[in-house]
Amino acid sequence: MNTKQRMILATVATAALSFLSSSAVLAQDAAAALSGPQPNAPVSADWAEKKAVTTCQWCHGPAGHSQNPVYPALAGQKAWYIVEQLHAFRDRTRGDPYARGMMWGMAAQLTDNQIVALADYFSKQTPFTSSPAPFLPFQGSKIAAGVQAGKGIYNDGIAATGVPPCAACHQAAAEGSDQFPRLAGQHASYLTKQLIALHNGTREQAVMNGIAAPLKADDMTAVSLYLESLH
Amino acid sequence: MHNFNWLRLNAWGKRGSVLAALLLLGVTAYRPAEALPLFARQTGEACAACHTVYPELTHFGRMFKLNGYQLDNGRDIEMTNDEGKSVLSLPAVPNLALFIMADYVQFKKALPDSQIPGAQSQTGNVDFPYQVSLLYGGKIAPHFGAFAQITYSNGADTFNIDNTDFRFANTIVLPNKQPLVYGVSINNNPSVEDPYNTTPAFGFPYLPPATFIPSLAAPIVEAGQAYQAAGPIGYILWNEQLYVAAGFYREARTGSSSPGNPITGNFGPIDSTTGAVLEGNNAYWRVAYEYDVGRYALMVGTYGLQFKLYPGNGLALSGATDNYTDTAFDFQFQSIGENNSATLKGTYVKENQALNASSAVGAANPHDWLSYETVDLTYWYRRKLGFDVGFVNIHGSTDPTLYPSAPTQCIAGGGGTCGANLGTPGVGGVYNVGVTNSANSNPTTDAGIFEISYVPWLNVKFTLQYTHYTKFNGASSNYDGVGRNASDNDTTFLYLWFAM
Repeated sequence: MNTKQRMILATVATAALSFLSSSAVLAQDAAAALSGPQPNAPVSADWAEKKAVTTCQWCHGPAGHSQNPVYPALAGQKAWYIVEQLHAFRDRTRGDPYARGMMWGMAAQLTDNQIVALADYFSKQTPFTSSPAPFLPFQGSKIAAGVQAGKGIYNDGIAATGVPPCAACHQAAAEGSDQFPRLAGQHASYLTKQLIALHNGTREQAVMNGIAAPLKADDMTAVSLYLESLH
Repeated sequence: MHNFNWLRLNAWGKRGSVLAALLLLGVTAYRPAEALPLFARQTGEACAACHTVYPELTHFGRMFKLNGYQLDNGRDIEMTNDEGKSVLSLPAVPNLALFIMADYVQFKKALPDSQIPGAQSQTGNVDFPYQVSLLYGGKIAPHFGAFAQITYSNGADTFNIDNTDFRFANTIVLPNKQPLVYGVSINNNPSVEDPYNTTPAFGFPYLPPATFIPSLAAPIVEAGQAYQAAGPIGYILWNEQLYVAAGFYREARTGSSSPGNPITGNFGPIDSTTGAVLEGNNAYWRVAYEYDVGRYALMVGTYGLQFKLYPGNGLALSGATDNYTDTAFDFQFQSIGENNSATLKGTYVKENQALNASSAVGAANPHDWLSYETVDLTYWYRRKLGFDVGFVNIHGSTDPTLYPSAPTQCIAGGGGTCGANLGTPGVGGVYNVGVTNSANSNPTTDAGIFEISYVPWLNVKFTLQYTHYTKFNGASSNYDGVGRNASDNDTTFLYLWFAM
């Protein structure tokens, strides 16, 4: 390799390196542009109501009264819990399928203050009470049997597998508390799906992962039906 | 997504002089499009948020569309003026997508060769690519969004403008806390603005074979003026339930369907050298009511248009017009579950034609009519394995001048005259090719369409489709007078679709 060839090679190498490093910077810029909250400007209650009516309602129903059992009702949910979940969606730390497929995107641009305002709005709405959707496979006596079995699990746990009573934390009427979310009246199919996600770990929550681990499919369905029946 | 219907050609297609051009257009211009990774990029939503399986929209997808494609998951490029008012809010990454399709098409009975008596075309045809589309979609600015598509078609070997929808939308909250969306869509294909899958632009059948045998007629709302018209459609959506849209279209020619203006040498103004030219403003309207309960969504609606067309093609663009009035009724029932999704939908269109201009020059009856109906049932298992069965029926009045019984193509091998020996192929050295004509001058075409699809990933799709014709251009057997039966046109269509 003569001097000229070496110089050409060096020039090409430098250009390539410079291109690679600028590409890396561009990639970093793009990554920064695609993540992270917006500036945290003050947010009014009116903003939250408008956002709820014009966007959240598409799935979560008017005032958080979800009509579609795929989507959880938000009305009357504890504000702290909604804040925690919206942060988990925005930070992509809640990993169940609908969280990934829908809420990661929906929450990506929310600021901390917007999250607080939305949580405040939904927590103040009249609590939702689901009624089993028409045409569901669980009909009549099946629902009644499930509710009965679920009531037992909710209040007494399952001694054989060490499942503690749900009521111990979520309260007797499943109304939730400052530390545990409201479950009463929620759509059974949503609750079942969450129990499955907690059971198999796609949704990470240290306490509930442990509690849901020994649950069987029938247990999840039963306790979900019982919770849906609580008005 | 594209407006197409391979069972149709617009009413002008019956004229021998333009039929060949329209056949070409039918094959090259009416191409479909499917799901849009660009929207997934912008919104951060999985395809399943907006679609059961593309192109069918869910309630969420309908809301996204009618609200102007606004949901945005990324950080925008922002600029404000000194008062703090936003003057720019642009997604940092362009919302682009590409999709590529390849296919194989086979007719049950080969077509006759167009030049050599007694010879045949190949029965199967590979299109690689069948279609390549570049799409831009999503937010342009707050309240402004777009969905625009340019499509490469192998027949034309060029890119053409495809469905394009520029939209403004805003929502107000009514005193009773119900949302009212209002907006305007400026688009190039009647029903592109519509959020349901029962209207022509995004309706069943979703995808035609790249190679198909065009039937004689379909109502003009079924893509009759697609990409040759443009106009504003205003709409409101009350409480996510009642959708009302109305507006008008004007002539807006694109592509090779017009020779342009020979005087200016430019694309316009259009004169008598162009065929099927819209006169003035032409009304389009739509009303739909959606009722959602649980996982179910039921829609009933009606839509229609009133289009006035100059025949052109040598006739002056003045005086009488051919007037088409289409009135349609449609319904859609969706049951969307995580393992099982099913959709039943249907459309009935009645078209009244007052062919004042064409009848004056002896090219059609003064009045004709067409009806067009489709119904289909789709089932998806886990959005992976899909089945679709549907029917398309076109009926209409008999018109010997609009739908000449003589074959539009023949081979005069021994000095005979084309078309004179209908039904007696080979006699006198004249070979009628047939295939696209109707021996009884009637456009009736009835088809059943069966589809199996496999979607291993939400942006990868394999589909096998079979179309069976019980009637084609007016009859079941010997419909062209040269011995071809409707079922000879049965079509097997296998395609691959990749979106990225």
